[in-house]
Amino acid sequence: MTPTLSRIFRDLGIVLTLLAVLVYVGYLIVYVVYAVDLFRWPFDYDQGEGFELYDAILYSRGEWPYRDSAAYPFYASNYPPLFHMLIVPLLPVLGPQVLAGRLVSFTATLITGGVIFAIVQRKVGGWFIPLISGLAFLASNYVYQVGPLCRMHMTMVMFETLAVAFIAEFEHPRHGRRNLILGLLMLLCAGYTKQMAVFTVAALLSYVFLRDVKKAIAAGVLLAAVAGAIFWLLNVVTEGQWWINIIQANVNEFDYRQTVFLFGQWFRLHTVFILLAAGYLTYELFWDRLSAYSLWFFFSLGAGALSGKWGAGFGYFTTAVAAACLTSGLALGRLRNVDCRSQLAIRNSQSATRTLLAVLIPLLYLLQAPRMLHMPTSGPVFGSLARALGVADALIEGDCVTFQYHDAMGYTQLGHLLTADDYTAGEEILNYVRTADGPAFSEEAMFSLLTGEPVVTNPTQLLNLYHNGLLDTTEIIERISRQEFGVVIFRAQFYPQPVLDAIGQNYQPVEHLCMNGFYYHILWPRRRLAGSSGLSDSADGLAHASSSVR
Amino acid sequence: MSEGCTLPSLCYNVRAMVTKRQLGVIVIALGVLVALGVTIVDFIGAGKWGGFGPLQRIGIGLGSAAIAVGCVLFRLGDRPA
Repeated sequence: MTPTLSRIFRDLGIVLTLLAVLVYVGYLIVYVVYAVDLFRWPFDYDQGEGFELYDAILYSRGEWPYRDSAAYPFYASNYPPLFHMLIVPLLPVLGPQVLAGRLVSFTATLITGGVIFAIVQRKVGGWFIPLISGLAFLASNYVYQVGPLCRMHMTMVMFETLAVAFIAEFEHPRHGRRNLILGLLMLLCAGYTKQMAVFTVAALLSYVFLRDVKKAIAAGVLLAAVAGAIFWLLNVVTEGQWWINIIQANVNEFDYRQTVFLFGQWFRLHTVFILLAAGYLTYELFWDRLSAYSLWFFFSLGAGALSGKWGAGFGYFTTAVAAACLTSGLALGRLRNVDCRSQLAIRNSQSATRTLLAVLIPLLYLLQAPRMLHMPTSGPVFGSLARALGVADALIEGDCVTFQYHDAMGYTQLGHLLTADDYTAGEEILNYVRTADGPAFSEEAMFSLLTGEPVVTNPTQLLNLYHNGLLDTTEIIERISRQEFGVVIFRAQFYPQPVLDAIGQNYQPVEHLCMNGFYYHILWPRRRLAGSSGLSDSADGLAHASSSVR
Repeated sequence: MSEGCTLPSLCYNVRAMVTKRQLGVIVIALGVLVALGVTIVDFIGAGKWGGFGPLQRIGIGLGSAAIAVGCVLFRLGDRPA
């Protein structure tokens, strides 16, 4: 390579590097804008957020959320406790606001990105590859959408990433034992945040097994003993409801076509990271020694394979995204450092290769960036940017509104910003709850929590239990038949069919409000409509008949 | 690995670690288990598909790939896995 050409490539490399940093920092800004927008939104954005908050509220009162769903208020949680317990200290400061859980989850994603940065930095050095590896995690469509929600998944990913960081160094000459114990503790935390962490447990124990069989067996026995003791204790204190709600209720139907679709989507969105990580795994498998990072990437595919379960989705791939971002960074670092090591041997060709890599590495990151494109498309900044990128018209259709939001993954219920109309609709629904003459039978918990009403039912858990033959619907149907609930609020109608039938017979739609892109169906008891003919007439006019209650 | 070591016995804890050959055996065994498992599932009446279903085809594919990878690993001998 001539000196002139070399200089051109070097300058090009610098420009591409700065451009790549700019693009990924841009994604970080989009993520923060979305998170801040969600922090202000007091209602459920994703169905289930309010129930997670309610679990935390129950813990703050010293109560367990693992209960008999056949008895009033027909509520039980199907998730382990740790995420909800992390929310508890924020409740005295923030009150019963969903913001508390969103802050925990958002912080967890930032920590995960930071840990990825730290691991890659420790392994390959420099700043560019580590920085982009960490930012890439936050730039993923999946992390962006789920990260600032009051859901536990990203907190699990944080504990998993920390466990990888510690256990990868379990052979450290001075801190090996400490690292292993801390890693096992992080695995325990991950598992008691969400059951999906079992794949990371398998990955890291396999890693220890490959290097030190006896230590792996000891670590596995220790982890199983502690996790098992906690499991047993929880089951005893909840009189068996822990086992029913956490294990038995989570046996759901599996549709392999959903898994295949989501694997395809995950690959399409994160192609460069996945190919680099897979290449690194192959290299280590046949030519080097398997690392904790490669094994984590491989085992995380197992979590993705479960995404065909009813109630699962793309969130099951967030561990795989973290592993791919981390491992791809190591792969590029390895490529760059191999070249450095050969410096003494073949100085000229090494110099040319290094120059080419200085262009190639940022170029790869830049090729990956548009594959994950997601952004709001309205407003003075994002509107102009969306038009410049040609995505101003490639919007996502909700049930009742077109979201001013573009996402390369296609249709999604998450990711868009809230509008003034959404806030107005939320207040209208709250008014229905406030003026009801009985507790609200709501598919989302925040309407009840914000009005100081009791939280009645956890619909998806009732459905899980019902599908597994674990729910006695006698009492809930009796109460619906007596029209004890002052108002019913539906969004997705994820209740067992007998419950929906009973509501259809005893409640009548009075209004369908568009909020956050979805129709919220408000139903009143028929006794109330019968007692007020004027209201009844208007309700009949508004209702789309009880056909929506199915 | 210790700095400057050249022989595997000096570089690694050979007695405690798993070799490529041993890993190959494990991977082959897992591959055979998966392939056999998805094949015999019809004989015990599990699954909702009448014939050889799509999940079984995926299982056979993954099992075969694991056996192939295991065979390559087996030939790599006593290098650390």
